[in-house]
Amino acid sequence: MASTSTSASSAIKLDIPLHIKYIQNLDKRQDLAYHLTSHLRLNGIYWGLTASHIMGQPYALDREGVIEYVLSCWDDEAGTFGPHPNHDGHILSTLSGIQIMLMQDAIDRVDVESVTKFLLDRISPDGSVSGDSWGEIDTRFTYILLSSLSLLGKLDQIPTEKREQIVQYISRCRNFDGGFGRVPGAESHSGQVWVCTAALSILGRQDLIDIPLLGAWLSERQLPNGGLNGRPEKLEDVCYSWWCLASISILGKLHWINKDKLIGFILGAQDLDDGGIADRPGDWVDVFHTLFGVAGLSLLGYPGLEDIDPVYCMPAKLIDKLGLKKPYATLPRMVSYP
Amino acid sequence: MHGIKRTRLTPQAAEAKKLKEQGKIEAYLALEQDVLGRKRRKEYTTEFLDQTTKLLDLNPEFYTIWNFRRNILLGLFPSLSPEEVVSHLTTDLRLTTSYLLVHPKVYWIWNHRKWCLESVPSGPGETVKWKEEFWKGELKLVEKMLDADSRNFHAWDYRRYVLSSLPTQRPLSDELKYTQSKIESNFSNFSAWHCRTKTLLAIWEKEGTGEEEIRRAKDEEFELVTQALWTDPNDQSGWLYHRWLIGSAPPLEVLQREIKNIQDLYEAEPDSKWCINALAHYTLLLSRNQTTNDEDQIRLKEEARRLYQRLEEVDGDRKERYRDMAERCL
Repeated sequence: MASTSTSASSAIKLDIPLHIKYIQNLDKRQDLAYHLTSHLRLNGIYWGLTASHIMGQPYALDREGVIEYVLSCWDDEAGTFGPHPNHDGHILSTLSGIQIMLMQDAIDRVDVESVTKFLLDRISPDGSVSGDSWGEIDTRFTYILLSSLSLLGKLDQIPTEKREQIVQYISRCRNFDGGFGRVPGAESHSGQVWVCTAALSILGRQDLIDIPLLGAWLSERQLPNGGLNGRPEKLEDVCYSWWCLASISILGKLHWINKDKLIGFILGAQDLDDGGIADRPGDWVDVFHTLFGVAGLSLLGYPGLEDIDPVYCMPAKLIDKLGLKKPYATLPRMVSYP
Repeated sequence: MHGIKRTRLTPQAAEAKKLKEQGKIEAYLALEQDVLGRKRRKEYTTEFLDQTTKLLDLNPEFYTIWNFRRNILLGLFPSLSPEEVVSHLTTDLRLTTSYLLVHPKVYWIWNHRKWCLESVPSGPGETVKWKEEFWKGELKLVEKMLDADSRNFHAWDYRRYVLSSLPTQRPLSDELKYTQSKIESNFSNFSAWHCRTKTLLAIWEKEGTGEEEIRRAKDEEFELVTQALWTDPNDQSGWLYHRWLIGSAPPLEVLQREIKNIQDLYEAEPDSKWCINALAHYTLLLSRNQTTNDEDQIRLKEEARRLYQRLEEVDGDRKERYRDMAERCL
């Protein structure tokens, strides 16, 4: 079974022009679902723009239009970005805003001081990080805080004592299987594994990760059909091609995954009529899975793609330029595939 | 979009769908504009709560509207009697219940629910009966959610949150019983196994349980997990739990007994990668045991290396890992 599906999909290639067109047209299909997801709009632009960069077309979206839109998402009361005009500021949209502006080389148009204050205010005395002033806690927000501040060159604004509290908090979210959960006590989940591994990487504290144990757990996420799941005994999904793969790349164990089978699985989830990548073959596509499919392929060395940084999920070139590159291992870029 | 099958629409069908949706889109956008406009003007009036309900009915992920709703309620509460506050919170809890049944994985709905519970005032009178009743109701809700999807991590996290917030704490042993019932109805439920590790650790820490007693408790756990392993040796949930029970420095007799048990299973299931994985890892642990002499240590390491080499064949997708592991045995 497994070998049949691999050989069948190995004939398929990544259809870059079609996916670029799909991303460019996202704003034109204004159906009901489009309006119901406006709270994800800024994230959506980040997903689309990053995917375009990785597919070698950084200018696929109208630069000035994107910048204007990001600026229109500013929430004056919170002092940071919301996901859409008139929506409340949140740490989730804050990171997307920063990432987009950096990729558009327009960070000088952002009130960095205000965003930094918003971010620093998120750190609680126990080292946890909240999403906004309402106080939801999640290790996703810990990562976002560290990623955002380091992208802004403001990581040193976290006082040493608080930095240590953040590290302790992440440690409290670590489980016996080597993985990490949302909060202390929560089950390990690949998404949370990525945010915690990347957060520790930004803080230079990879020593708190049990690499053989977590690496084994991550490699066991691969199912016989090549796809990766997020937790034991769950279904595969293209987005875990990022959460698991970026984590295992930070651990330097990317070769513990069957590369060819995973490439086959991601390619099989493309919509070859209208572009985009789905969670799994045959499902509706979306820009979220399109980015994480393409990003996974980039880590695996798929030909014709630009390098992606597994800690920041941004073009590696840009992260290098900002002087933020951390230790990780990706697979060498192939000349052709298969 | 997760798990929704792609269908092809003809251009005509797509156009018809768009026309049909047009009315809905216009109504939605008009409502959204009205609510966001009032929010901008800070019109925090009660009558207006219904408008936010209408919008949330259409889109319970619209967190800005949940924020707005809380701000309206917060503005209102100081002028209300505690009974009236409770009544408002009851309405909102009902609202979130109905949303959660349809959208069990939306963070923002769970968040609003937490806020409601944390806002329940003391009373009636000098008692804390309201708080007690509300929190107790939460356990029922979360059990219902976990019956519907026993792996929903939102529900499991919420369960832990409710248990730690109950005004009158339940004995931790109740949670052991709960995880056991979840495990017995489905050995593959790793979320329940995970919860069991946390519950046992909490019990041992709270009661200052001694080494001997922990060992006895673990022996019972070994029995439970052995049932799971024999029922389906290809399910990794039980194997992960087994490894937790073994830990990093198990007593020699326990380690030897468990290796023997797994060898029995291995004979019955010679291709079970999980059996071989466990044997390889535990054999290495045995080689590191203080009582193991140099000669046995070499022999055990060699045995572990052979097991990893066998895994390279049995479980080819991870052969590079096994190769690395085999090398570490040298």
